[in-house]
Amino acid sequence: MLKQTQQPLASLRLIQQHVNQVPCYVCGSGNSYDTELCRDCFAPMALAHQAAAQKVRPHLLAALGSSAAGKTVYLGMLMDMLSRQPERLQLLARGAFSINMQQSATGALARGEFPSKTPCEPDGWNWVHCQIRSYGRKTPLELILPDMPGEALLEELDHPHTYRVVHPLLAQAVGVLIFIDALRLEQGSLDEDYFTMKMLSYLAEVHDSSRPDWSKRPIAFVLTKADECGPCFDDPAAFARLRAPGFWRQCHERFGNYRFFAAGVVGGCAYRSRRYGRQRVPLRVEPRGIVEPFEWLVGQLKHA
Amino acid sequence: MTTTTQALWQCCTAPFRRARQQTPVPRVAADDPAADVRPAPPSKLRPSDRGSPVEALLAQERYCLLLRPQLAGSLTVEQCARAREALERSMAQIPAGPVDLRQNEQQETDSDALEQVEPLLLDRYPVTNRRFKQFIEAGAYDTQTLWDAEIWPMVGEFRDAGGVAGPRYWRSGRYPSGEEDHPVVGVNWYEAAAYARWAGKRLPTETEWVRAAACPIQSADGKLTQRRFPWGDAMDRGRCNVWGSGPSRAVAVTQFSAGVSVGGVYQLIGNVWEWQSGDFGAVDVDGRPLELPGPMKSIRGGAFDTYFEHQACCSFASGENPLARKHNIGFRGALSLCDVASLETRNA
Repeated sequence: MLKQTQQPLASLRLIQQHVNQVPCYVCGSGNSYDTELCRDCFAPMALAHQAAAQKVRPHLLAALGSSAAGKTVYLGMLMDMLSRQPERLQLLARGAFSINMQQSATGALARGEFPSKTPCEPDGWNWVHCQIRSYGRKTPLELILPDMPGEALLEELDHPHTYRVVHPLLAQAVGVLIFIDALRLEQGSLDEDYFTMKMLSYLAEVHDSSRPDWSKRPIAFVLTKADECGPCFDDPAAFARLRAPGFWRQCHERFGNYRFFAAGVVGGCAYRSRRYGRQRVPLRVEPRGIVEPFEWLVGQLKHA
Repeated sequence: MTTTTQALWQCCTAPFRRARQQTPVPRVAADDPAADVRPAPPSKLRPSDRGSPVEALLAQERYCLLLRPQLAGSLTVEQCARAREALERSMAQIPAGPVDLRQNEQQETDSDALEQVEPLLLDRYPVTNRRFKQFIEAGAYDTQTLWDAEIWPMVGEFRDAGGVAGPRYWRSGRYPSGEEDHPVVGVNWYEAAAYARWAGKRLPTETEWVRAAACPIQSADGKLTQRRFPWGDAMDRGRCNVWGSGPSRAVAVTQFSAGVSVGGVYQLIGNVWEWQSGDFGAVDVDGRPLELPGPMKSIRGGAFDTYFEHQACCSFASGENPLARKHNIGFRGALSLCDVASLETRNA
């Protein structure tokens, strides 16, 4: 029986890899022009192509948080709000792939569900490249923002270089949104406190010669699901100090440019029975405190 | 104690005793909407009237108590006319008829699914901060008879930011400056029910609310046509205060007059959610059952921050913990028409 196999020409592959290489926008590794994801860190090469085409070097912004802290919901909602109601900030998505996150997040919420978990595989992550215009800023700001799953971050924190995109991203990022599940904190879970402490510890040890230390770069701590924690909206910093003292102390001692925010996307939740357990579903969508953390970060970049 | 005072006391403290009288109350067009939410002018008072319980109730806009069938007979003609004028100015009449409470608008209308609504009166506007202040100043938070028995031990916890009894977002008994005509928010379901009881009203049921908002019309073949919004079937963010309408916060109850319902009720959609009298049905828009994290009361109408238009339409219901005191939930009062004495009764 004949077995069909394909043998690429070694010479052709060598040419592809070494001629006209395009550096990955995040890690700088060389990739052939037609590569979709960086062969080293799996960041989409579309970011590099767009940056080259527009002759503008976008800033990287990181979004970190534990699993199910609400990163995808927050980021999707933020993108959708800023692209629909351009008041204080205007957002213009660069590339069709940049609309995927807001489409999937708001689509799920409109159906009365939360968006499905971001896969751990880097090729399933959502990346957003967008242009931000704000009052008081003459030139628009180009931003690249990935939505990374909490599991991948945790793996990288425990075993560095498992996910190669995380370290170069944080080294180059001009600011970071750190998401903390306020509901879990209020319920007395220590895991959220420990995870955030790990993240801060990792962040403090990331250095890049071309950028200031993270002690000077802006960090927005976003307490998510605050709509279900009454006192959180009143004073997010006091809530964090009370509910996550370890994280609070580390933040206070290691970082100088940070602020606490409370955010909520849904007004209430219930559960829907599934074959395997029950699924948390939103009862209604009423975003609150979504734009403020991002607006503060953008304002800090203005001064950077 | 005089007869009038005794009757007043009974009306303020006893549950409704329904009298089967269904005299329609004519609707009064509101030329100056803002005038409807201001306190009634204390004109035409005889010196002997000042300080009387009837005048106190009229000054507090508690005209519904005076118009109870049990009490109306002991009012003077002038007092009765003034109470009636206040009622017609502040409440809209909602006629009897069928309502389809299902949330999925794609479903065929099934006559078995329809619910009948008795004629009622519904507040034209959500209860404002100014009105709620009268409730507090009357000592309502210290009056046990106004509160549901199960919540009375907790009423002392319902305090504002300054530690004084009142809505959560007030400070030391004062509502935010310039927001006297804004809907009162930061009140839980029990506070809303207590206010309604104090005013001689009650919270509307879901069927009553939908009847007022969706203007259902039943054709000869039994099919029911309901509007998605009080003004029609298409969302118009210029007619209601939802996300994307502009203000991004609650506004005065007289604004967005273009979104008024057929019966002349303001802001049924948008601005603030409204507490309903009943429990949340615990089903999603497709009718699938939901498991609730605890007891929930139904809220309807959407608020200034409601993002999706299908969640700010007449058919959509959501739920909230009855103890929640949120920034975007208010309420309005209702009254069955049979609980209002007719002028004919008074004159007889």
